[in-house]
Amino acid sequence: MKFRGKIIDVSCLNHFTRVVTTISKLTKLCVLRLTPDHLFFVLSGKVANGGVSMWCELSQANFFDEYQMEGVSSEDNEICLEVTPENLSRALKTVQNAKSVKVKLTKKHCPCLTIAAELPTLSSISRVVTHDVPVNVIPRRLWHEFKEPSMPDFDVSIYLPPLKTMKSVVDRMKNLSNFLVIEANLNGQMNLKIETDLVSVTTHFKDLGNPPWGEDASQEDSASQSRDPETMAEARVDIRRLQQFLMGQQVNPSKAMCNIVCQRVVHLILLHEDVSLQYFIPAVA
Amino acid sequence: MKCVLEGNGVKVFGKAVQALSRIGEDLWLDPMVKGLALRSVNAAHSAYACFLFSPMFFQHYSLGSGSEPARETIKCKLVIKSVLPLFRCLTAIERNVERCQITISTPTDRVVIQFFCKYGITKTYSLRFQESEALQAEFASHLCPNVLKAPARLLSDMVLHFPVSLEEITLSATPLRFTLRNYHEAGNDHMKTMYTEMSLHPDEFDFFQVGADSDVTFCLKELRGFLSFAESHCLPVSVHFAAAGKPVCFSMEDMVLEATVLLATLMDSENTGPSQPVGPPVPTSPRCADVAALPVVSHEGNSRESQNAPAVMELIPSSQGSPMINPPALRHLLSTADDPHGPDVPDEASAMATPASTMICSLLFRALASEQDDDGCDVSLPVLACYSDTEDEMEGDYTRSPSLLISQRRLNLPSPGVNTWDSARKRLF
Repeated sequence: MKFRGKIIDVSCLNHFTRVVTTISKLTKLCVLRLTPDHLFFVLSGKVANGGVSMWCELSQANFFDEYQMEGVSSEDNEICLEVTPENLSRALKTVQNAKSVKVKLTKKHCPCLTIAAELPTLSSISRVVTHDVPVNVIPRRLWHEFKEPSMPDFDVSIYLPPLKTMKSVVDRMKNLSNFLVIEANLNGQMNLKIETDLVSVTTHFKDLGNPPWGEDASQEDSASQSRDPETMAEARVDIRRLQQFLMGQQVNPSKAMCNIVCQRVVHLILLHEDVSLQYFIPAVA
Repeated sequence: MKCVLEGNGVKVFGKAVQALSRIGEDLWLDPMVKGLALRSVNAAHSAYACFLFSPMFFQHYSLGSGSEPARETIKCKLVIKSVLPLFRCLTAIERNVERCQITISTPTDRVVIQFFCKYGITKTYSLRFQESEALQAEFASHLCPNVLKAPARLLSDMVLHFPVSLEEITLSATPLRFTLRNYHEAGNDHMKTMYTEMSLHPDEFDFFQVGADSDVTFCLKELRGFLSFAESHCLPVSVHFAAAGKPVCFSMEDMVLEATVLLATLMDSENTGPSQPVGPPVPTSPRCADVAALPVVSHEGNSRESQNAPAVMELIPSSQGSPMINPPALRHLLSTADDPHGPDVPDEASAMATPASTMICSLLFRALASEQDDDGCDVSLPVLACYSDTEDEMEGDYTRSPSLLISQRRLNLPSPGVNTWDSARKRLF
């Protein structure tokens, strides 16, 4: 197994660092899948993380100037590593002004992702910084756990309001309740509701717009075609999961949307130019 | 003692207090003829810092306080937690404080710090102090084979690459390369620890002399405060170090102030493993505690009090290599030091069976005696840890001039003789 990538462009490095930092805010441990064309940060929904799962896809050509990899075998030309994204993020943050950054899979005291950066100096010889981020190699038999999640058969899909606004609302609500209900309809309306013994609070968002999935998803389900646009699809989720998702976002995405499967799962999708992030929060009773 | 600071001086003083607060819990104020020294040492006695402000730094500096003539200078020990809040917000100080006056008032046992601010506001803080013998660490920096000098910015930039929580850092130097890396410790949860290594070319330093290849490991946390002070002053920092086990010294100076941080280093990275714990467990972080230091700090009164200091009694480099003539008292001690059951040995020392190969450091302390003795000592005393002013009769054989060699016999390492800090420093700069 071999992997070697090089980032030269400052803005690419910046962008990559921001993506990794966002991931680090969402989870302590995740799986990094490397394929010839893409990098994926994957978190599979296990009870330990409260059932949330995450899928983040980056196109390597948008970040790396050089990218070479050799997977486990020629049929399975992939590398799967378990990594602590916070380490990666810290390593990348310190080398933002580097002339070049190389990311390689190495074996030091254990398998590592080595981030080697050349920093500019006044003299001719540059400074070299090396960060060895320890990783665990995931064996092939476990790869099925980290496959791309399929699009759920959602009831409603809606664009999200500005994430900052949503975050401040959710932050306030977290003080009052542990659970929050997200509901939305096909008329571009979304509500965030909490209810306790003493008080119930609802924040209404209007005119959000609904993504035109129509043709792709839920084709078979004629019921959703004729779904009453006013009817809300709702799901009750753990408010901390939603807050964690919102906290991590550093840049405004080009598109942010939310798919709700009634009482099942909330599927959040963020699309940037070269990165897509999907986050699944399971509904609780 | 009475001194007055103005304007920017207050900010500098405040920054020094902040840097010292990263080291230990107590702040020693030591007014001397040559200036006001602020010192601190950490609980494990493996880190020591001293900021010496010369009289020129102050608008006014006098050793007597008001009507009292300067008969005897008082050395005070303050709790840093009570001093730090006064200087916490330096930007506010910069904006509002016009003058700061610090007075040590003996009759009331208080240090009075007054801030004369804008709009006629005066803030007066009265802090109780404990009278104490001061500490002073001895370090033969002129004997260090490796000397580096670099702008503070360079060192700060390097240290930036390491996480703030990092305890220990290893510095390696060869004539061709200078490297900093995390201290590798076996048995850590390998998924959590990221290892970072950074190297520089000697050209980046203002002065780079590596006489002997060495790897020294020391506690980084305690250095950060000092580096931030140096950076705010744009002063170059000098680094003196030798082999593993010998202390590393970071220092900087300009016309009106000198600052030094002495850090103990781990002995030999191959012989990792806890050093024999002596006495009560050290209250600092477990790793820095392994680096046991010499605490021979004399507190007022009973020299046996030093036993209260944790991780006591490791090592003092002997004066065997010293060319200096020992005063009679010292000579006597040297001979008694060979006696394994010398009267000056606290129980712990004899209980200690640390072989030289366990982690030890050789940080030296010498309590300051009065000023005449100080000068006297400058000339004649090559060493080392001292007690002074002990009413204890057990050391009755020697005079007030401080020179107790503790556990010298246990020292297996040949060490060069050391001169006092002042002369060593003068030689260097």
